[in-house]
Amino acid sequence: MSSSQVVKRAKYKTTVKDPGTPGVLKLTQEKLLFRPNDRTSNNKLDVEFRLIKGHKHTKEGSNKPPWLNLTHAQGSYIFELESFSDLHVCRELVGIALSKHAEATKVISEEQLSAVEMAQRIKLLQEDSKLQKLHKELVASGKLTESEFWATKKKLLDHDESSKSKQRIGFKNSLIFDTKPTSDGRINQVKFQLTPEIKYQIFALKPAVHQAFLNFVPSKMSEVDFWNKYFKAEYLHSTKNAVAAAAEAAEDEDLAVFLKDDEILEMEARKKVRRVDPTLDMEADQGDDYTHLPDHGIFRDGSKEISEAQHPLYRRTLLQDLNRQGAVVLEGKTLDMEMDHPKTVAEILARRKHESDGVIEEERRNRISKMAQIEDLQAQDNHPYAPLCIKDPREYFDSQQVNAVKTLDESQAGMEQVRCNLGSEEAYDSLRTSISKIKATGLRDPLISPEVALKVLNGLTKNISNTKYHLGKSSQEGVLDMLPNTTKDKLLDHWVCSQELLRHFWSSYPVTTPNLINKTKRLKDAISQLYSKLEEIKVSAQSDLRHQVSLVVHPMQQALDAALLHYDADIKKRNARGSKPNGYV
Amino acid sequence: MKFEIEDITVYFPYDNIYPEQYSYMVELKRALDAKGHCLLEMPTGTGKTIALLSLITSYVLSKPHSPLKLLYCTRTVHEMEKTLAELRLLHDYQLLHLGPAAKILALGLSSRKNLCVNSRVLAAENRDSVDAGCRKLTASWVRALAAENPSVPACEFFEQYERAGSSAVLPPGVYTLQDLRVFGKEKGWCPYYLARHMVQFANVVVYSYQYLLDPKVAGIISKEMQKESVVVFDEAHNIDNVCIEALSVSVRRQTIEGARRNLTRMRQEVDKFKATDAGRLRAEYNRLVEGLALRGDLPSTDAWLANPALPDDILKEAVPGNIRRAEHFIHVLRRLVQYLEGRLETENVEKESPVGFLVSILNHAGIDQKTLKFCYDRLHSLMMTLEITDTDEFLHIQTICDFATLVGTYARGFSIIIEPFDERMPHIPDPVLQLCCHDASLAIKPVFERFQSVVITSGTLSPIDLYPRLLNFNPVVSRSFTMSLTRDCICPMVLTRGSDQLPVSTKFDMRSDLGVVRNYGRLLLEMASVVPDGIVCFFVSYSYMDGIVNTWNETGILKEIMQHKLVFIETQDVVETTLALDNYRKACDCGRGAIFFSVARGKVAEGIDFDRHYGRLVIMFGVPFQYTLSKILLARLEYLRDTFQIKEGDFLTFDALRQAAQCVGRVIRSKADYGMMIFADKRYSRHDKRSKLPGWILSHLHDAHLNLSTDMALHIAREFLRKMAQPYDKTGGTGRKTLLSQEDLEKMVVEGGLNDMLY
Repeated sequence: MSSSQVVKRAKYKTTVKDPGTPGVLKLTQEKLLFRPNDRTSNNKLDVEFRLIKGHKHTKEGSNKPPWLNLTHAQGSYIFELESFSDLHVCRELVGIALSKHAEATKVISEEQLSAVEMAQRIKLLQEDSKLQKLHKELVASGKLTESEFWATKKKLLDHDESSKSKQRIGFKNSLIFDTKPTSDGRINQVKFQLTPEIKYQIFALKPAVHQAFLNFVPSKMSEVDFWNKYFKAEYLHSTKNAVAAAAEAAEDEDLAVFLKDDEILEMEARKKVRRVDPTLDMEADQGDDYTHLPDHGIFRDGSKEISEAQHPLYRRTLLQDLNRQGAVVLEGKTLDMEMDHPKTVAEILARRKHESDGVIEEERRNRISKMAQIEDLQAQDNHPYAPLCIKDPREYFDSQQVNAVKTLDESQAGMEQVRCNLGSEEAYDSLRTSISKIKATGLRDPLISPEVALKVLNGLTKNISNTKYHLGKSSQEGVLDMLPNTTKDKLLDHWVCSQELLRHFWSSYPVTTPNLINKTKRLKDAISQLYSKLEEIKVSAQSDLRHQVSLVVHPMQQALDAALLHYDADIKKRNARGSKPNGYV
Repeated sequence: MKFEIEDITVYFPYDNIYPEQYSYMVELKRALDAKGHCLLEMPTGTGKTIALLSLITSYVLSKPHSPLKLLYCTRTVHEMEKTLAELRLLHDYQLLHLGPAAKILALGLSSRKNLCVNSRVLAAENRDSVDAGCRKLTASWVRALAAENPSVPACEFFEQYERAGSSAVLPPGVYTLQDLRVFGKEKGWCPYYLARHMVQFANVVVYSYQYLLDPKVAGIISKEMQKESVVVFDEAHNIDNVCIEALSVSVRRQTIEGARRNLTRMRQEVDKFKATDAGRLRAEYNRLVEGLALRGDLPSTDAWLANPALPDDILKEAVPGNIRRAEHFIHVLRRLVQYLEGRLETENVEKESPVGFLVSILNHAGIDQKTLKFCYDRLHSLMMTLEITDTDEFLHIQTICDFATLVGTYARGFSIIIEPFDERMPHIPDPVLQLCCHDASLAIKPVFERFQSVVITSGTLSPIDLYPRLLNFNPVVSRSFTMSLTRDCICPMVLTRGSDQLPVSTKFDMRSDLGVVRNYGRLLLEMASVVPDGIVCFFVSYSYMDGIVNTWNETGILKEIMQHKLVFIETQDVVETTLALDNYRKACDCGRGAIFFSVARGKVAEGIDFDRHYGRLVIMFGVPFQYTLSKILLARLEYLRDTFQIKEGDFLTFDALRQAAQCVGRVIRSKADYGMMIFADKRYSRHDKRSKLPGWILSHLHDAHLNLSTDMALHIAREFLRKMAQPYDKTGGTGRKTLLSQEDLEKMVVEGGLNDMLY
């Protein structure tokens, strides 16, 4: 970075026509300051760069003066600098500053909100007063930014949007029928439908048509003509009259494109066939078939099919079309291809994975060796659980009981492996043996040691009995109910607030971007504020209630403490280590 | 797990074993002991392949002094890959338990198209062009030229392989085609020739049926296999068809025209050589006089397809005098082509025996039987002399010579049928002259004679006594295993009526009935709404499928079906079908669910598994009878009746039902899997048809499921799916054990309880 600050003389203009206010422009990496020479002028500027959207400037050598134009949400600030060299210096700094803020702006503040989304947020806030309170508390005070606040409330926002599916829609199984002509059978007329969707389907099914479209459309014929031609060809196909098709194709070479076999497809097929599973590769068989040399073997015994060999070029069959559409459907849609600017076919083809031959071969080999194994002859995987098969619930339950007991038994004794299928007799047996074993030896290792259990139990019951004892009230009432209403409300608010803050805090670890550093810092400050507020409540509470308040406040403080501790530790670690691996910032 | 069968220790790579796998191994072991052939039918979904592989490899391991080689034949390349993957699993297991002693070399072998790594050669489109492309770079004379002149291109992979000489070997291990390619690329050696070379030393070779059955290929690849080999034909229910196809040739107009062009070019070549290098032609002549047509040791790269006749039937004599000179031979071929063209110009269907045909050739073209017989050898020699590398251009004349050789060699079991047009399309003239073989035992005979044990196995060999008759051999063991099921995980149904209670069938008079088509459509639609994941449909033929899908489309049923599942269809284009299958699997994987339309007797029905969620339901629309009006089929039926006393009707039903069983059998792969099978045709309810289904389907076909309508079938489907969704005890619980652990097995062997269970 050349310099972190630039100060230049400039004129500030609100519009291009405006003659401008002379003054001093000061640019730092964070913001720009403009002080007019005339102190009384109200054209003072103090703008942070995060509000600036972009910058433009006039070219050197053009007849315009050196202007720097910084666009913001409402308009733009135009500065006329004294020379182009000044302009370059300023421009450089602006560029750096903007690029620094670019990523920040994206996440933090100015996320592009549609009006709908905004309205939804407002509505949510209006409906939910608690949420509103929280929002006021956290966002208005700058502890959290707007977007951060809503980020954790996605569910609320998505609630209505869930009806809008975000899943990309694939092709229909029967897409081919959309591209075929329909006739109502009464009048001698065929109908074709054409929507952008159908156009896209036709392109996907027939790369040659796509290629032709790209080649012909603006230059040679209009789009309407193109589709007319195409459907004429389709119609010829549907009449299944190869002779007529050939005749038409001979007359009109553009039409011939649609009628001939698709060369792109053929090339693709040849490429693909090298990749198929060798257990399917019937092309290889042909290479081995010396019986069917031309004219060897039995030629006409009825098993071989006959086809009219005339015009094989124009004899695309329904069967081929069906296979092709199957392949297209499976391939799925290429990303949202725009109908108006169809990408080149070459591009689409290039999008296909270009794996090296080695990878393919390896893959083929793995596949075949996997195929070769017979699954149920191999040793069974010994899962200690019975597969879910609830024909008779009672039986299933019983067998699972045994399994559970057996697992327990084994974990102690390390006996033979668990078998998953047990008859009821076996189950009963094993249950009996394990019971008798326990009878004889007692439980060797109880699940929890008695001391620990006692301690836990005491800890859990102490407070209950304490409070009960002290106040002589029914245990049904919580501690909170004893507090005065104001304290109670305050506490509850703080609790909600602390939960929210903590959620944000912990979700921002590990800290990987400067943004997050920023956020954790803000959160830490908010947390410590909250901590002191709680402390205050504790102190200010009336002496007879102080114990109860502290009982409630204590766990909250503990949670906040943990967060603060973690933050400190993390900062320390961060500062201690010189080089930061793993993307730590 | 590890266990003993009599005197051998079997290493089996899983912790459990199905009882039928065990008994399968026992039977197989007995057949190996007896050094005889066997015929074993075991249901799909019981792990046939792994049982077979582990027994045979373990058998070899326990008898190190008698090295047995395993030749494992599959129908398709993808089955080859699957088999090798299972073998690798087994091999890893054996290595773990036995250490380096268990090391074997196992590899798959395929054509250049699937093994070549030279990008220039591979750029060619079909197999024949790849073969020719390879020859253009590696034929001995090309390499000789390239050695002198560096601008002549050669294949760097082959050259490096040659240079490595005897050190070019594959280390022990299991190599799929892909592994071979990777290894070849790494070392810079040609994987195809390396594999062909290593085949002689390998313990296990996995390749296609044709490499043993088709003399054209077997003559090159499998010539030097040792007698002490076990040959396995897996999924062999169609083996008879492979055999007869291997010895059949057909000649069409295109063939005749192509052959003419070939002859013209050869004539030019001969003239050129006469002018420039007459010595070479003379040398060839002298060699032929000495009777050395092709008996010399040719470099492996020069070998083209071998003689189409079986090795025993090839005369070991000198080539007859009238075709020793190149121009004479070309002239003879011209006359032959002329004659065949004349025969093609017929108005009516003609059927002739080879003997009659020979007489006619002699009378009209003046070519005798012996000359015909040597056509193949003479052509091969001439092409070698003329140094022709673009063999793919010369396929037509090859066909003519193959035809001539076969006609000249075989008098029985063949017939010649000339048809002016296809009966189904009489308006399109497409004459064809076919030499078709009727006797499946011819092609497989040398295999039975040459090798110690031949194992024919499949999921559908019913009725099992028919195969020994069709293939003319005596098995020492012939068994059909049933499937012991933990639960009723297959649910076959016969659907005879549609939702409107009218009968459905693909019988000729009913198949185009709109009501039947609609009922079939409704059936599929209803099932698609109930069955999760994948559904497979088989139709009786491509044309029927095409018709019915179009009708469904017009009536809107297809659109409704597609609202439930995506639809993929087998077409005659293999690339497209392969991609459709791949997408089908993807759709099943991602949960969208899909329906695959396929054709019985088609490529998909032959070898693609629709196991697990890839196939929860298979619907067989109709009975896949062969096209009964086919002249070839009629001739074959006649031959079967006269020779083996097999009734036409029986054979047709047997053939149709094995195809149907094959189709529906694709849905099950293990006992943990489950699937439904719907036979949608009223004819399946008849006892004579149904009883031809394999036992493992019949045993699950309840009487209540024999005559269903769509709504009832739907109800059963719902019940079945709900039942299958429940967890179950894989071992079969307290009653019959259906899954044996090592302890179970040992206990049973000791108690002798296994026999009760197996028989």
